[in-house]
Amino acid sequence: MAKLVVYLTNAGLVALEAKGARLVGRHTFAATAAGREAFSAYAAGRRGDAVHVLTDLAEEDFRLDTIPHLGGKDRDAVLSRKLAQIFRNTPYKYALTQGREAEGRRDDRVVYTAITNGEVLRPWVELFEHLELAVAGIHSSAIFSGRLLADLGLALPHALLVTFTPGGSIRQTYFRDGEIRFSRLTPVDLEEGDTLGGLIAGETARTWQYLDSVRSFGTGDRLEVCVLLHPRDRPAVEPALRDFNQITYRALDIEQVSGQIGLKPAPATSGAEEVLAHLFLKRGAPNHYAPPELRRFSQVRSTRQAIYGAAGAVLAAGLAFAGWNTFLALQNRASDERTGAQVKALAREHDEVMRSLPSLGAGGPTMRDTVAFYAGSLRGYPSVSEFLVPLSGAIERHPRVRLTQVAWQTTEDEKTTPAFLPILSRSPPPVRTMAKGGEVAAAVRPPVEADPPFSPGRLSVALLEAIVRVDGNGLRAALDEVESLVAEIGKLPGYRATIVEAPLDISSKAGIQGRLGEKPPAESLARFTVKVTRTQEVRP
Amino acid sequence: MSAAFSKEGFRSLRLAWATLAIAIAAAAGIGWGSHWFLQKERRDDVASQRQLGEARARLETAKREREDLRVSAAMFQDLVNRGILREEKRLELVERLDRLKERHRIIELDYEIAPQRPLPLAGGRVFNAIDIFASRVRVRAKALHEGEALAFVEDLVRMDKGFNPANRCSLSRLEPGAADTVSPRVEADCSLEWISLKDKRGGRAS
Repeated sequence: MAKLVVYLTNAGLVALEAKGARLVGRHTFAATAAGREAFSAYAAGRRGDAVHVLTDLAEEDFRLDTIPHLGGKDRDAVLSRKLAQIFRNTPYKYALTQGREAEGRRDDRVVYTAITNGEVLRPWVELFEHLELAVAGIHSSAIFSGRLLADLGLALPHALLVTFTPGGSIRQTYFRDGEIRFSRLTPVDLEEGDTLGGLIAGETARTWQYLDSVRSFGTGDRLEVCVLLHPRDRPAVEPALRDFNQITYRALDIEQVSGQIGLKPAPATSGAEEVLAHLFLKRGAPNHYAPPELRRFSQVRSTRQAIYGAAGAVLAAGLAFAGWNTFLALQNRASDERTGAQVKALAREHDEVMRSLPSLGAGGPTMRDTVAFYAGSLRGYPSVSEFLVPLSGAIERHPRVRLTQVAWQTTEDEKTTPAFLPILSRSPPPVRTMAKGGEVAAAVRPPVEADPPFSPGRLSVALLEAIVRVDGNGLRAALDEVESLVAEIGKLPGYRATIVEAPLDISSKAGIQGRLGEKPPAESLARFTVKVTRTQEVRP
Repeated sequence: MSAAFSKEGFRSLRLAWATLAIAIAAAAGIGWGSHWFLQKERRDDVASQRQLGEARARLETAKREREDLRVSAAMFQDLVNRGILREEKRLELVERLDRLKERHRIIELDYEIAPQRPLPLAGGRVFNAIDIFASRVRVRAKALHEGEALAFVEDLVRMDKGFNPANRCSLSRLEPGAADTVSPRVEADCSLEWISLKDKRGGRAS
């Protein structure tokens, strides 16, 4: 991102072009109408750059003060009031809070600084306004030069940094424990026989006297004067700088300093503007002097960049989201294609299986259903003959019993009882079961369902009607005979038998009728019915 | 207030704000479009997975059916040979009843063959591929001995061709007639279902 550092002195303006933190161009313009016109032409082409103004002016004034330790708005209000009181006639002013007193109320130490004569800046500021340059801030090079000592590792209790300003001036800035306390600019005006070293020695001695007069030093304190010099100027300066008890001198080789702070190439002269501009680009600094109206183009520029940045971020986020979605979608598509191929392969295999199905003139479902119907409903279907053959053996072992009729059927329900019209005995026993109406009991054929569902024949049930011969009044023997028959049938595999109508119902529920003559009958025939159920074996 | 949000600032930043709006709209559009694309692909994938599951199930069913049919093919062939899928041939039954009457010395034989009807199965069971039809045959046979009557019924229900299960039978003794005549002593009254199947697709196995 292009930046333009404008180093402004009383003599002129040095425009230092930068890309990132690297200085890539230098242009000098005199503080004259022609110089400003040239700058106007030059700066017209750099409207998009952020402009930082570093001032190194004789009109910069510094005042020390302490204020009660306050926070936030209260401190700002106090500082604004103090600035307004001290520097009434300039908009270019700044209050720098540096630390707190060690004793007493532990007040805040403040340096008030201002460009006391705004007229020095006015032609340039008007030009900046006219050109709509994005002035981000006006910074005091004196205040900022404290960073140089810190970056060089010179943590001195009393340091006086001497730098050369473009246009032939030297700036002396006094730092106590790293805090700026005083700064002044002196033009280099050598008379015949004077040397630059002598000038520096004389000016620093005068500065020491002033600082000593305002009680900046204690007993035994020594002011260390750091002079930023180009190697070419060292022979002319160093011989004149002689240390004594209160002052020691330290020459800072500008080439070595440049190497330490990463400035390439090193400046070609002893001028400090490139060193300070480079350091400013690396470290940055808050605005010191620029009023808000002068910074409005910079604010708009910053906002524009922020908006474009936000637009780019939004678009990038959208593209990233879309990219991720597309990536996932393509993965899904690949999976989908693999699945589709599997489906086709399975369909081919299915077709092959279907072609390989055995065909006997009918479809697979027909074959399956036919076999299923046969296996479930027809295979091993019982018949009346196979039902009666085992029974006949049992009945033959009871010669007093004679079968008169059988009603047989297949069913699914064990409770089903076939029916028939009873064949009444022609010579019933004298003692008989009586029906409710006083008549002798007789079964009644129940209605038969017109078209009942076809039963698979798992159960066969039959109602047997028979007569048992009774000798005289020997009903007890007849009952025993019937019960014996039923028990024998029950022993046959798969058969169960129950008496439906006994030769004589001897339960308390039924009535009994007896007609006994003079002599008991020699023989009578008692009718009874038995229900027989046979469970069909499970079919394979 | 920052100069960027003054009237003049807004004017200066019109293009930037418009760019931001377009960027937001474009990002939203691209994002929504890609999301829609992803959802579509996911739906397609889910549908494909379902198709895959169905194809696997179809194949498994087909394989199972093939195994079932291999096992039951012989039985099916036997059933076909016995005429389970053949249409009724009533004259054959009439002739057979006549032959059985003679063979088992049935004194009197009455029978009724009802019109063919769909046979209702227990539990309302139906088959997908076949229809089941049956003609009810009611037979009353009078014989001298119950063994002859039972043998007649057994021969009738165990025919080589066709399936005629008897699901209801009654046997009863008859009053003896005059001493000088041969009169039946036993009467068998049976109800049979003469069953035949029909392929729903119209085909009949030979």
